[in-house]
Amino acid sequence: MALPSLPYIVITVLWFALIAYAVFGGADFGAGIWEILVSGPTAKEQHALIDDALGPVWEVNHVWLVFLVVGLFSGFPGAFATLVAVLFFPLTLALIGTVLRGSAFIFRTHGLRKSATIWNRIFSFSSVITPFFLGAGAAAVASGGIQDLGPKTQANLGSLWLTPFCLTIGVLSLALCATMAAIFLTVEATNQKKADLVIIFRRRGLIAGAVTAVLGAVGLAEAAFQAPTLWQGMLAHAVPLVIATMVIGVGAAVALYFGYYRIARALIIAETAFMLGSWGVSQIPYIIPPKLTVDAAASSPSTQLLLIIGIAIGMIIILPSILLLFYIFKYKGGMGLLSKGATGGTIL
Amino acid sequence: MPHLLAARAQMGTSLAFHIIFSVLGVGLPLLLCIAEGIALKRKDPVWMTLARRWSKAAAIIFAIGAVSGTIVEFELGLLWPTYINYTGQIIGPLFAFEGFAFFLEAIFFAIYLYGWNRLKPFYHWLCSFPIVLGGAASTWFIVTTNAWMNTPTGFIFTNGKLTGIDTVSAIFNPSTPYETVHMLLACYVACGFGVAALYAFSMLRGKRDTYRRYGLLLGLGMAVIATPLQIASGDFNARYLASKQPAKLAAMEGVFTTGTNVPLHIGGFPIYDTQTGKGTFYYAIAIPDGLSLMVGYDPNTQIKGLNEFAPQDRPNPLPIHLAFDGMVGSGFFILGIAGLFWLLYFLRKRHFPEHRLLLLGILLAGPLSFLSVELGWMVTEEGRQPWVIYGLLRTSQAVTTAPFLNYSFLTFSAIYIVLAVTMIMLLLRQGRKPLPEMKWEAVSSGNDESADVSAEQEEQVGV
Ligand code: HDD
Ligand code: HEM
Ligand code: HEM
Repeated sequence: MALPSLPYIVITVLWFALIAYAVFGGADFGAGIWEILVSGPTAKEQHALIDDALGPVWEVNHVWLVFLVVGLFSGFPGAFATLVAVLFFPLTLALIGTVLRGSAFIFRTHGLRKSATIWNRIFSFSSVITPFFLGAGAAAVASGGIQDLGPKTQANLGSLWLTPFCLTIGVLSLALCATMAAIFLTVEATNQKKADLVIIFRRRGLIAGAVTAVLGAVGLAEAAFQAPTLWQGMLAHAVPLVIATMVIGVGAAVALYFGYYRIARALIIAETAFMLGSWGVSQIPYIIPPKLTVDAAASSPSTQLLLIIGIAIGMIIILPSILLLFYIFKYKGGMGLLSKGATGGTIL
Repeated sequence: MPHLLAARAQMGTSLAFHIIFSVLGVGLPLLLCIAEGIALKRKDPVWMTLARRWSKAAAIIFAIGAVSGTIVEFELGLLWPTYINYTGQIIGPLFAFEGFAFFLEAIFFAIYLYGWNRLKPFYHWLCSFPIVLGGAASTWFIVTTNAWMNTPTGFIFTNGKLTGIDTVSAIFNPSTPYETVHMLLACYVACGFGVAALYAFSMLRGKRDTYRRYGLLLGLGMAVIATPLQIASGDFNARYLASKQPAKLAAMEGVFTTGTNVPLHIGGFPIYDTQTGKGTFYYAIAIPDGLSLMVGYDPNTQIKGLNEFAPQDRPNPLPIHLAFDGMVGSGFFILGIAGLFWLLYFLRKRHFPEHRLLLLGILLAGPLSFLSVELGWMVTEEGRQPWVIYGLLRTSQAVTTAPFLNYSFLTFSAIYIVLAVTMIMLLLRQGRKPLPEMKWEAVSSGNDESADVSAEQEEQVGV
């Protein structure tokens, strides 16, 4: 077997970074989405649970986005320049969402109790904006509508990223974030021995998961018409991945239903990874279908080599550090992998 | 507002906002590390309280630093897609390395901040080291990119195509050592004076206790070491500009025509028409032969003037000269303050000088040192105009074609105002919280491994 070329190594690393951002950053956004529904007798506890869950990790999770951006423009400058030019508006909106989300979170957790309600609203509102526009932007790329290339391309006002397919994928991103957050929060609540919260988030996880599944099916059907390149690519080399995605999704729902929350968490992470993986594999060999290939968009080989060496050294330092962080705040003293948390209550 | 101007205004505002948090993000961890180190060594609860309260403020400052940095990172692409196309190809990997430095900082900062009661004291203190390192590394990486924009190397540009790309030589472009050292020192200078100024303020209002004295000593201790180095390094920068960035030096000093025996102008207004090349220097104090002497230690040293450059390549000297003199003036003022403080401190056998005027001077030095940072960046960025990558890409060619930039500028400006106001309110509130009872058992880290800090306890230990 031939060794993969440098650009493919770089894009694979970036795709894993994308998955990391979708899983960790996505769950943080999802928690913000659930903030909208916080009410009732346990409202205060729900706020506190979300604050505890996000507090130590959201900034680190956010750095994945930064890493993605810089990785993309050093590895594939031409593709990056095209994307920021064409998708100027959805990306600007997503950026505003990210900024408001981060600041609102820190403001409300660090004491602005009186005005906390405004910042709570901003927190949840911005948590909706960012995943939606990032999802819609990604769908615009996948649908193969970006045909003019280069940094001088006109910014698109919506005909590319507000199509039915893009809207579906935008809402799908929201639903997926919400599902992940709910599942992560069942584990957090079990660790904190708060059975009533466990049950609330289990129910939400199941509902959001069902919505995600439906939207996923709709998106797939739409892709056949609106994203022909992607559809063909999927038929050619991503069918097993798509099937795996579906199976894992069902598995996550089952684990969640029966209260095996840590297993559900592992499965929903895998689900997201496979979903994004199927998209990536379907797009091969394009970085921006239907015209720009991974090889054509790549920066010079010497730049790519340096990038890979740097990434390798960086990961050796960073990955153990991230594990340490998650160990200290998420695993130490938490529920066991096979243990069962509280279940019960009505689902619908 | 014209398209290009709106883009430049948005970029400039964003960077000017971000740099304040960057400076604090690099400097504060060092202060935390020193304060906690002293506390552990001496088992001193006052030092430990300093570290604790500052780590709370740092949490807010870091978060705003992260979000404002993200804006800047996106804007490099959103506003200047052509710029990022070139930059990415040639020196892009540096940005990716910087991403790792951010990871390092963010990870260990999270452990540091949320781990006070989960880690043993010594391990907790150890966690401050990667934060300090990460901050210094991220500064080095990003400022190196900026140095490359000033003196781009590592590629050949022929017929609109880039060839022979060599990222390593781009990284070690001639400006790198000068700019990175000067900026890193600026972080410690500004942070030191910033912290000292806060305590000077509360001492002026009559709160003269050990806690505040230690805080002031800590800030001024860092500042007194970094400031002389800063000024020395600035002197190297200026001399270096004469050989590698002559247009910038000419603009900084208002040199209109090439010549020898060039005077040094202090203050004043260099009014210059870049098109005709005619200009006058109003109200400056001129030191005869000064500039020639500073650059070459010889009055006959030749200095290139703006007339050497084509009219469309000339920066406007007025804002650059004023910014430069502002930086240098503030630099000498803050050096004087720090020097005076320590002189009195040691002359009076380690007795804390609390003269009102001195405290007022320290209070003023805080904002002035941050102002120097902003002004220094004005010199660097305005002095490079009309180029964004010197000699390769003009700012006007780099800008995006996207419409409605006016609105984008307004939106982001509004966001900055809201963030700044809210954050200041928050920090003031934390600062006003009464000091906790400073007993070693209460403030030292890792006492109670099993329990998290309760909300009330957190409230008490505020900043
Ligand atoms: C605490 C802040 C501070 C202080 C006291 C000084 N500087 Fe500075 N200076 C900066 C903070 C700064 C800066 C904001 O950090 C800059 C902008 C870009 C850079 O690398 O550093 C800078 C840039 C900068 C440049 C332009 C470098 C370039 O564009 O390549 C020169 C020539 C000087 N400085 C010279 C001086 C001199 C002669 C000083 C003597 C008093 C001085 N600086 C004090
Ligand atoms: C953080 C400290 C910095 C400050 C305060 C600052 C300030 C500014 C200002 C005021 C402008 C507008 C200049 C003008 O158009 O007249 C500008 C432009 C710009 N800066 Fe910086 N800058 C900083 C650091 C950097 C760094 C480290 C980079 C690169 C990595 C950078 C890249 C740019 C770019 C691409 C532009 C737009 C093009 C141009 O106007 O030349 N800046 N900056
Ligand atoms: C154009 C220039 C710049 C860009 C694109 C940029 C980008 C960024 C980004 C994306 C972050 C967020 C990282 C995170 O999520 O934690 C950040 C934070 C930071 N930046 Fe900048 N930056 C620029 C200029 C500078 C300069 C000149 C300095 C050095 C003094 C600096 C130092 C820092 C530091 C120390 C942080 C961490 C701040 C914190 O977490 O409080 N940056 N920057």
